[in-house]
Amino acid sequence: MAPLPELNRRRWLLGTAGAGAVAALSATASPAAQAARLKTQARIVVAGSGLGGLAVATRLTKLLDGARITIVDKKQEHNYQPGYTLVATGVWPVSKVRDRNADLQPSGVEWIQEMVAEFDPAGNAVVTSSGQRVPYDYLVVATGTHQDWGLIEGMDVAAIGQNGLASVYPSPEAAVATWQAMDAFRQKGGNAVMTLPATPIKCAGAPLKMTFMLRDRLAQAGTLDKSKVTFYSAVGNVFGIKPVNDNVVGRWKDLGIGIEYTQKLQAVDIGGRKATFVSPEGTTTEVPYDFLHVAPPMRAPDAVKNSDLAWKEGGFAAGGWLEVDKDTLQHRRYKNVFGIGDINGTPRGKTAATVKKAAPLVAQHLVDVIAGREPGQKFDGYTSCPLIVREGAAMLIEFDYEGKLTPSLPMIEPLQESYFAWLMKYAMLKPAYMAVLKGRV
Amino acid sequence: MYEIWLALNIVYEIALGLWPALLILLFVWLAVLVANRKGLASVSLTRLLAIAVVVAIAAGLALPTLTLSSFGNFGYWVDWANWLAMAAGAGVVAAVWVWPLMARRSR
Repeated sequence: MAPLPELNRRRWLLGTAGAGAVAALSATASPAAQAARLKTQARIVVAGSGLGGLAVATRLTKLLDGARITIVDKKQEHNYQPGYTLVATGVWPVSKVRDRNADLQPSGVEWIQEMVAEFDPAGNAVVTSSGQRVPYDYLVVATGTHQDWGLIEGMDVAAIGQNGLASVYPSPEAAVATWQAMDAFRQKGGNAVMTLPATPIKCAGAPLKMTFMLRDRLAQAGTLDKSKVTFYSAVGNVFGIKPVNDNVVGRWKDLGIGIEYTQKLQAVDIGGRKATFVSPEGTTTEVPYDFLHVAPPMRAPDAVKNSDLAWKEGGFAAGGWLEVDKDTLQHRRYKNVFGIGDINGTPRGKTAATVKKAAPLVAQHLVDVIAGREPGQKFDGYTSCPLIVREGAAMLIEFDYEGKLTPSLPMIEPLQESYFAWLMKYAMLKPAYMAVLKGRV
Repeated sequence: MYEIWLALNIVYEIALGLWPALLILLFVWLAVLVANRKGLASVSLTRLLAIAVVVAIAAGLALPTLTLSSFGNFGYWVDWANWLAMAAGAGVVAAVWVWPLMARRSR
């Protein structure tokens, strides 16, 4: 692992000066937020320091006066996960998705550099991996997902990059290794197999982007005619939003990409380059491949899944997702607990864009509860996916809980591929992500 | 309003990544501006506009390639409108930057 860049003094000085200017603008833009700073002695624990945890923690420092806010997460490196598809397809260097977590912690917040091993919502405490019990008055759960690689027999994440095995999901290193595998594959071409699991997954557009980009890389290399690309979906579609699904299916038909539905990846023979799929009826099919991109099944991390915070019944119970009200993101049974990001057991929304819209709401709702008010805003489930269709073009798809397409700007046509959407993905969304993380937008 | 605020933050975060170069350019520009402040009014607006147009054309031609795309990926009017705005912005910035330099030449 390459060393991460140190935050030097000059960068800090400029950042401080610039942040001051932006903060001044921010104060002008939202005077109500400044005026509403609430005095409190509340102990607030934020479990997780991904985008959701940091965005909410930062906002809470601005909304509350006197609160003791503690972030619990051992992660030393912060990864810009929306950039993984760009790294894994040879567009970005890996350095663009790696930052030091220490540089991103909000000031005035305590950081316990351990994982949460156990949630005790009845006792209002979390227990860290070393056994330390951390009491709280209010809790924000932002742990993200657990990738259940163990459900794929023979799968070895460490083998990604070898024998045509690829996956954009596990880490920046896996994204780099995936590009190495893709680059090697496109030189000769062959049989490419792309997978989608049956569980909810973060960035459900990523397997589609990888498929589009693989096809584009084969075309660029001149090996498309020697290749076959097939997408194996474990469910009855390739994307949960019907107009998007229909659009992608139509595009793939035109591009010669095959689709197999209700085929769940069951096992991988890495050395033998064979993938085994199983149908709902239990019929297994062995598929030889030269390139295999795996999107793993996902669930809540054990600490959430095994706690009383998880859904106990319904569609989200199997994955142990956090039982939050989808409108307020407040826990349905423990009213001093909120959820943000991928961990939430809500109909959609495991993307950074969801956090962009949800973090201000969660922070405000937590303040409301501290102040003795009912959470007053309603989250519409906003999610966005800049769906890359080839190098240089993408579609900017935004939608809500109900699957309605909800473009932020009226002139954006969600299903129209464009340079503008590509430019956003390529150059603008990481800056936007950093602004969300810093609690400014 | 929110979209404008978001756009400002995006520009700020991008500038944060380029700050050493931007700072040098700003200091040079300020120094030349102060040194040639008396000649600023004598600079030909036509020449400044010509520079802006030339830079805008160059930036417009380079932008798609610099962002790993091409004009072939321009799908609808939003692409062209954004491209024009970015190219025009580059032209205006270039004209403002060379303005004090041209004031020096015209003294």
